[in-house]
Amino acid sequence: MPDDLWYKDAIFYELHVKAYSDGDGNGMGDFPGLLTRLEHLKGLGIDCVWLLPMYPSPFRDDGYDISDYCAIHPKYGTLEDFRAFLGAAHERGLRVITELVINHTSDQHPWFKEARSSRESPKRGYYVWSDTDDRYRGVRIIFRDAEMSNWAWDPVSKTYYWHRFFSHQPDLNFDNPAVREEIWRVMRFWLELGVDGFRVDAVPYLVEREGTSCENLPETHEVMRELRRLMDAEFPGRLLLAEANMWPEEVRPYFGDGDQFHMAFHFPLMPRMFMALRLEDRKPLVEIVERTPAIPSSCQWGLFLRNHDELTLEMVTDAERDYMYGEYAKDPVARLNLGIRRRLAPLLDGDRRRIELMNALLLSLPGSPFLYYGDEIGMGDNVYLGDRNGVRTPMQWTGGWNGGFSTADPERLYQPLISNPVYGYQAVNVESQRRQETSLLNWTRRIIEVRRSTRVFGRGSIEFLNPVNHRVLAYVRTLGSERVLVVNNLSGTAQAVELDLAGLAGAIPIEMFGRSLFPRIRERPYVMTLGPYDFFWFKLRWL
Amino acid sequence: MSTILSDELLSELMAVGQVDVLVGLPTLNHSDSVGPVVRAAHVAFNRELARERTALVNVDGGSTDGTPDIVRDASIVDRETLVASQSLRTGHRISAPYHGVPGKASALRTVFAAADLLQARAVVVLDPEIASVTAESVVALVRPALAGEADFASPAYARHPLDGPLVTQVVRPLFRAAYGLPLQEPLAGEFGCSGRFASRCLDEPVWESDDLRLAIDLWISGMAAGDGLRVSEVGLGPRRLTARPRPAVAALVPQVLDALFTSLRLHEARWTSLTRGSLPLRRSTRPASLPEPGTTVDAEAYAALFGEGLAALGPMLERVLPSSILDALRAAAAPAGSVRLPDELWAAVLLELAASHRHATISRDHLVRAAVPLYLGRVASFAAEVEGLDPEAADERLEALCRNFERSRGDLVARWTAPAR
Repeated sequence: MPDDLWYKDAIFYELHVKAYSDGDGNGMGDFPGLLTRLEHLKGLGIDCVWLLPMYPSPFRDDGYDISDYCAIHPKYGTLEDFRAFLGAAHERGLRVITELVINHTSDQHPWFKEARSSRESPKRGYYVWSDTDDRYRGVRIIFRDAEMSNWAWDPVSKTYYWHRFFSHQPDLNFDNPAVREEIWRVMRFWLELGVDGFRVDAVPYLVEREGTSCENLPETHEVMRELRRLMDAEFPGRLLLAEANMWPEEVRPYFGDGDQFHMAFHFPLMPRMFMALRLEDRKPLVEIVERTPAIPSSCQWGLFLRNHDELTLEMVTDAERDYMYGEYAKDPVARLNLGIRRRLAPLLDGDRRRIELMNALLLSLPGSPFLYYGDEIGMGDNVYLGDRNGVRTPMQWTGGWNGGFSTADPERLYQPLISNPVYGYQAVNVESQRRQETSLLNWTRRIIEVRRSTRVFGRGSIEFLNPVNHRVLAYVRTLGSERVLVVNNLSGTAQAVELDLAGLAGAIPIEMFGRSLFPRIRERPYVMTLGPYDFFWFKLRWL
Repeated sequence: MSTILSDELLSELMAVGQVDVLVGLPTLNHSDSVGPVVRAAHVAFNRELARERTALVNVDGGSTDGTPDIVRDASIVDRETLVASQSLRTGHRISAPYHGVPGKASALRTVFAAADLLQARAVVVLDPEIASVTAESVVALVRPALAGEADFASPAYARHPLDGPLVTQVVRPLFRAAYGLPLQEPLAGEFGCSGRFASRCLDEPVWESDDLRLAIDLWISGMAAGDGLRVSEVGLGPRRLTARPRPAVAALVPQVLDALFTSLRLHEARWTSLTRGSLPLRRSTRPASLPEPGTTVDAEAYAALFGEGLAALGPMLERVLPSSILDALRAAAAPAGSVRLPDELWAAVLLELAASHRHATISRDHLVRAAVPLYLGRVASFAAEVEGLDPEAADERLEALCRNFERSRGDLVARWTAPAR
């Protein structure tokens, strides 16, 4: 019987179609290529693939500027190719979610072209127009580096149109019922094809109201509630995942009473994981988790270490941001917007122990983890490729021609592979790591396997312990009668810690990776020693 | 704080770590028989299982005859075996008392808990009273789970249908009718199983129940009928018990019937809801020929006891058996000195007894005692029927009985689930 709450236990994997595998040898990844790599995902233990935008687009914002919602970008293949990929994924028990970019379209979308053609156009009401640029004054500009205003002048219809992102991305008008119907038609199109849900982009900005920040408005929640209701009625078990880069208490309303989003990313947790590691202090991490409000039981946080964007530092204080820049982006070229454009492995100096610890945190804190393609093998980046392209380089499959990504001439690749001696495809690739038992790839596969052995990580509560040694982060995850004790050494030196586990007296800790037994827990403090960046997951059994 | 595992045992298990094979050996004053059993396991560990991570866990019920010492000290005595056998790994042999209610159930719970903690791939429980155990039989019980072919491996012995008639005439057919599992020895105290099976047993909420104490061996066999479990049967050759005083039939029959009916009660949700037919067993090669019976049945004496018992216990039996069955029994007893109690009638009798036991129509103790003469009558009838037949033909006759019981499964469920009379 299908479990409608599948996303609570799922391991997600984010990838670019263009970056994953090139099936037709034109230098750009595509769906036929992706299909051939499904075994890699299945073998890794992935439950759900999140595809970045794959729709026709002028690519002025890496596909987030959509010009046709119901088609596949020709460079990625055809709708038939997508169908074949989706069917093959489902056959392997893999779910697939896609991007739903509904706040705005590309200015090349036929709706916008028609809307701007005349003030009397039936599509005119699909967008937000104004004769002046002084409406919604005070609303913040998100891309300050690129845009001066949220209004852009349309020389065709001689009026201003509203855009929260780039000026070539006009915002849709969600006050117009016809727009909401169109969006539902788009969703329905993909749901009928079989996609398992959507990651909804830029959720907070759907609706505008005078005198407000035009963010997180009640009307926006109403839009989402309506879409969720329609989806549940026809397609139960599908997923809506919110992208809302905000504080947890601001994101909380997007879960509603379990009637809006199933999931939302926990943005502020991510930088604090990196901060706690560098500070060798659990404080920032514990604070943000404890500050996170409860969510409905059917909902879930999405956790991640890295993704296709920069390591965003929007949800930190100025002092924290300075610290993060100082520690993780000493080279200013690594800084972009309010963040750091690096992949996981280079951020952690390629230190295997730190990479493992960070992944262990990702997989043991409350939420469903999202892995970013290539991080399972410790891929590097190239900050000199501009924007965030440095973390969107071709996947490194082998040490051979183009890293096994494409048979095209290397000059034809959509962008160059990482080729330096440390992270280059000759050194870091799936094939060689598959063969090496102790590789990061095989370690990642193993930790996912261990995580999947219990539902406590996806569904259980968390209770932090408070040992005197602040370098040790310890917590107990509980689901019904099942309990897992997690102990992490955030420091690069060996640590001893005394844990107050009196409440768990009588339990036998069983280390979950090697199944080694540890002494029974008693009322007295439980003494442990941990090597640098060590972590333990203990299943507790009362026998 | 009540725990299954003592700190001493836990501490020893910590030293053992993960294992491939765990042999459990429940004992209580078995100094006369346990040595060869331990040696058989030891040889198996050193010879056939030399590459596996192994441990022998002896859980003792408080022996006063030095059994744990014998377990610890038993070693290979045969020089040839000693030279040819060498485990690649450190051998672990643990002897520890168990916690909880005295009895084999607590001992097995401890074995299962140890297997669960050590993530054993295969578990074998040995009966310290089986003198015929060999390294080969230990390995035979280990292999199905170790190879991932079965979750439960039950022994099959090369013995004549008249050897152990309590098993052949009562336990085997009724067990098969209920669970659809054609096991030859559902009552066996020795078996092999997967770690998954051990963990599943451990998770059952029955361990504190007094009923389980009575019925532990049959309860374990009944667990094998669980969803998604694969069952195999391994031929272990002839079965020989250590010579020691055993209960007389008059005491043994009530004891086994009580255990059988109780196990059905403990598992009633499991077997009454089964919709499948008889489960195919994976069987290892059966011995080429069955031996002649080891003991003779005094059919005439049994028939006489049947007739007398039926007459003496009439009023009590009238409360548990319908008059049609009682009349048929009386008719079967009519020719003095002989009895003819057909399969269908015997199945009907056992079904009624089982249902009456469940509903406690009369005192359960009285019920199982009243069943003794009926059992004797059936054994006399069967003995007369197979007299002169070769062992294989007699075995076929036994198989026919079991199939007859299997056909009555619907009646068993109906009688079991019907309200008390």
